[in-house]
Amino acid sequence: MAPSLQPRVDGDLRSILDSHDTLHRMVDTLGSPLNLVLPDRLAGNVRDFETTLRAYDLGGTVYFAHKANRSSALVRALATTGAGIDVASLGELQHALGAGLGPARIMATGPKSREFLWLAARTGVTVGADSVPELAELAGMVAAHGLPRVRVMARLSGFASTGTTVLSRASRFGVPVSDLDPLWAVLDEHRDQLDFHGAAYHLDTNGLPEKAAALEGCLEAMAEAQRRGLSPRAIDVGGGFGVNYLADSREWEAWTTELTGAVLGQRPPITWDGHGYGLRNEGGRLRGVLAVYPAYRAVAGPAYLDRLLATASTAHRRPLGSLVLDNLYDLHLEPGRALLDQCGAVLTRVEEVRDGLVRVAANSNDVALEAHGVLMDPILVPRGEPRPDDGPVGVHLAGNLCLEADLITRRRVPLPRPPRAGDLLVFANTAGYLMDFSAGSALMQPTARTVAAWRHGGDWRWCLDERYWPVTGREETG
Amino acid sequence: MRYDSVTDIIGDTPLVRIDEAVHGLRHIDLYAKMELYNPFGSVKDRAAWNMVRHRLADAADRGDTVVELSSGNTAKALAVIAGMHGLAFRSVTNRMRIPEVKDLLLLLGAQIDELPGRSECLDPADTDDPLTRMYHTVSAAGGGYLHTDQYFNDLNVQAHLRGTGPEIIADLGGRAPDYFIACVGTAGSSTGVARALRRHDPNVTVVGLVAGKSDFIPGIRDIDEVHEVGLFDPQVYDTIEAVSSDEAIDGLLTLVRRCGTLAGPTGGGAYQGAVRYLRGVDAELTERRTAVFIVCDRVESYLSYLRERRPELFRQPARAHSVRTLTGDELAAARTVDVAGAREWIEQEQPLIVDLRSPFAYRALHLDGSVNIVDDLFEEMLRGGLPFSRRRPVLLVCPVGEKSARYAALLTRMGHPDARSLSGGVIAWRDAGAELVRD
Ligand SMILES: Cc1ncc(COP(=O)(O)O)c(C=O)c1O
Ligand SMILES: Cc1ncc(COP(=O)(O)O)c(C=O)c1O
Repeated sequence: MAPSLQPRVDGDLRSILDSHDTLHRMVDTLGSPLNLVLPDRLAGNVRDFETTLRAYDLGGTVYFAHKANRSSALVRALATTGAGIDVASLGELQHALGAGLGPARIMATGPKSREFLWLAARTGVTVGADSVPELAELAGMVAAHGLPRVRVMARLSGFASTGTTVLSRASRFGVPVSDLDPLWAVLDEHRDQLDFHGAAYHLDTNGLPEKAAALEGCLEAMAEAQRRGLSPRAIDVGGGFGVNYLADSREWEAWTTELTGAVLGQRPPITWDGHGYGLRNEGGRLRGVLAVYPAYRAVAGPAYLDRLLATASTAHRRPLGSLVLDNLYDLHLEPGRALLDQCGAVLTRVEEVRDGLVRVAANSNDVALEAHGVLMDPILVPRGEPRPDDGPVGVHLAGNLCLEADLITRRRVPLPRPPRAGDLLVFANTAGYLMDFSAGSALMQPTARTVAAWRHGGDWRWCLDERYWPVTGREETG
Repeated sequence: MRYDSVTDIIGDTPLVRIDEAVHGLRHIDLYAKMELYNPFGSVKDRAAWNMVRHRLADAADRGDTVVELSSGNTAKALAVIAGMHGLAFRSVTNRMRIPEVKDLLLLLGAQIDELPGRSECLDPADTDDPLTRMYHTVSAAGGGYLHTDQYFNDLNVQAHLRGTGPEIIADLGGRAPDYFIACVGTAGSSTGVARALRRHDPNVTVVGLVAGKSDFIPGIRDIDEVHEVGLFDPQVYDTIEAVSSDEAIDGLLTLVRRCGTLAGPTGGGAYQGAVRYLRGVDAELTERRTAVFIVCDRVESYLSYLRERRPELFRQPARAHSVRTLTGDELAAARTVDVAGAREWIEQEQPLIVDLRSPFAYRALHLDGSVNIVDDLFEEMLRGGLPFSRRRPVLLVCPVGEKSARYAALLTRMGHPDARSLSGGVIAWRDAGAELVRD
């Protein structure tokens, strides 16, 4: 048998995934693969982050990092909450504006085209700038077009730590804190165009000490800004709060141990072709590093934010959350993955079952488990009744492309019984990055449609993503 | 006893019997090998010294930096030895998880580099693992480093094959023990001792102890991690068992409270793992047997580790005058004053304004004329009684008026007649457009 990694599924997602008829009807109507999103859950996740902020008496806005999912329903549902949105392209900005988020609730981040920058400035959203030249370009545009002063945040990078040296991956983004003079100069020169709102960081890491060092670095930069006569109001701590994907830590521990054993040749492989996910056997020793997302995480999402805010500043010996508050700053965040926890699933139809290989009508771009290194089992949603002799099996999952590499996951996954053509395999909790982040239309295979579903009394209602508005189908509630 | 150098004290540690009344084994004499007696405090002094002693002169000539992947005792020993020989020491680690050890290393003059965490947006094609890269840098010949490489260096094993193991045999009157139990970190001590004992008597049973996954016992590895260790050879151990941090702390408490042995967590883990294993054996025995476990280091460095896991061990006496003891009624009765009222009051009566925020924030902006006493410190001061006259009114301020209300209630309880809290705090003050200054 293949060791299992059961996904953590709860609340509404659990309930709709248990509604087998609904799921089959959706796929029968709209084909496989099919993305399912639950907009109401996003609102709940926003509240959880806000609750953590409030526990520290902190003001600030939760900006949903749009890049994690393209769904319109999710963004339109977001508009009904107190949250904002972090947009990283011209398309995302237009999408957010069209979904009903006003400019005051939009933060434009990432590398920016001229057009993106212009629309951001024209509509008056906050610009999270990556560099000094970007600020200069923005200021020039504001002056040339007679636009109103733009609220800007400056992304910083290269934070130093005190005591120990906390090493961090080099980042292509942000103004290095070792030399902020050019930043102060551009803000000073363009006072009439740029309204400095505060310092920001986003670190691509799950390492808490790195983030603590970054937050502390932002506090220092803000103090410097005040000394220079600016009045910054907020620090933006970016995203990267993480998701716990698995129901049971013991399964994760057991699986990684089994993988170690398999790589060392002590047990039969548990992956396609003995793939080691970064681990190698060199003369009986284990080498390399396990290059996968830590699928089980005891501390993720709002709890991770809580840990960060509770971490004591090494310089001031006081929790970072208290320091931010003491300085009267707001704390903004840009969670993507963590806000989409339990917000969706990808449904795929089984096409063929042959020699322990299950082929589904989807490919590894539609369900991007491998590309993001997230390891978890699919859920089998059978069409017919089980046969009496059906028992658990371990299978490999192949996609619908004619590429040897097109495996939905390289793990061998356990299923409670052998799947048959027409059954569904459901990849739960995939709304953040694993759903449509990289989906294309290779081989002219169909790209997934997306449906949004919501509770209606004891039932589920659903519609195409682009048809979803927070009021549609809920006329009775006014 | 006179020595020419402190490094001459390394090794020759005592072997001490554990009282049967404590361990309860009826047929087994259980001994602790007291590695905590080494001069820098642990079993790793032997390995550290053995890995560098013959290379120090050359390294000093070249001005090399001693470097090791260690977050604990090896780093401590190497930092001391490097310092004695005028060399710099650099410790590379995933995480310094024990604050006392970190501070001690900084005190010893070590540079500590902590490796970055995992990427949140993982790119599985990225093979640029920071640890591997670091390893290549410090291992390159002529790169300016003396890399001791404890996980792969056979001199680590040799230190125990030549020292620790033969010492045990000598102290047992020329006999090897029947059982040897040790925690596995680099596997150096357990491998070296096991080889020495088996040379003497091939029938010795060797038990290796590792941590459970997702558990943490500073100094040792978990069952998967041991496979990354170059020195680890599964053949050395008759059995490998997991020991939990809970058991390690139980064992530590037994050694510390009942055996006069101030052992750290791995000493406690080795004791507890030994007794757990031997209890099964003991039941079947009719003749006497001997067992030895290693006490690797001392307890003092792990107080915060213990406090985190067993706060009840550090019972503190109830504090007088603490905001934590305020009742709901006392809180509700706290006097508050809004921004407009406060401005008037300040104008008329010049209350003492106490700003409870951090000095860092106070320095940036504050109410004119206020004094800054950060809340932690204020709480300390109040323990001794009121730090100012009852005749002087007091205005307490904090960011949102929440903490200040509690301290106003506390001052009232302590008999101050006019302590008020600025409602809405400095944020409300700022938002009302009232003046804030920096000096
Ligand atoms: C600037 C910025 N903010 C926020 C995020 C969202 O990160 P996550 O989804 O890990 O929370 C990203 C992700 O790449 C980012 O680049
Ligand atoms: C406290 C402590 N106990 C036990 C050990 C394990 O010793 P060895 O590395 O020889 O296996 C170490 C080693 O780092 C240690 O620091």
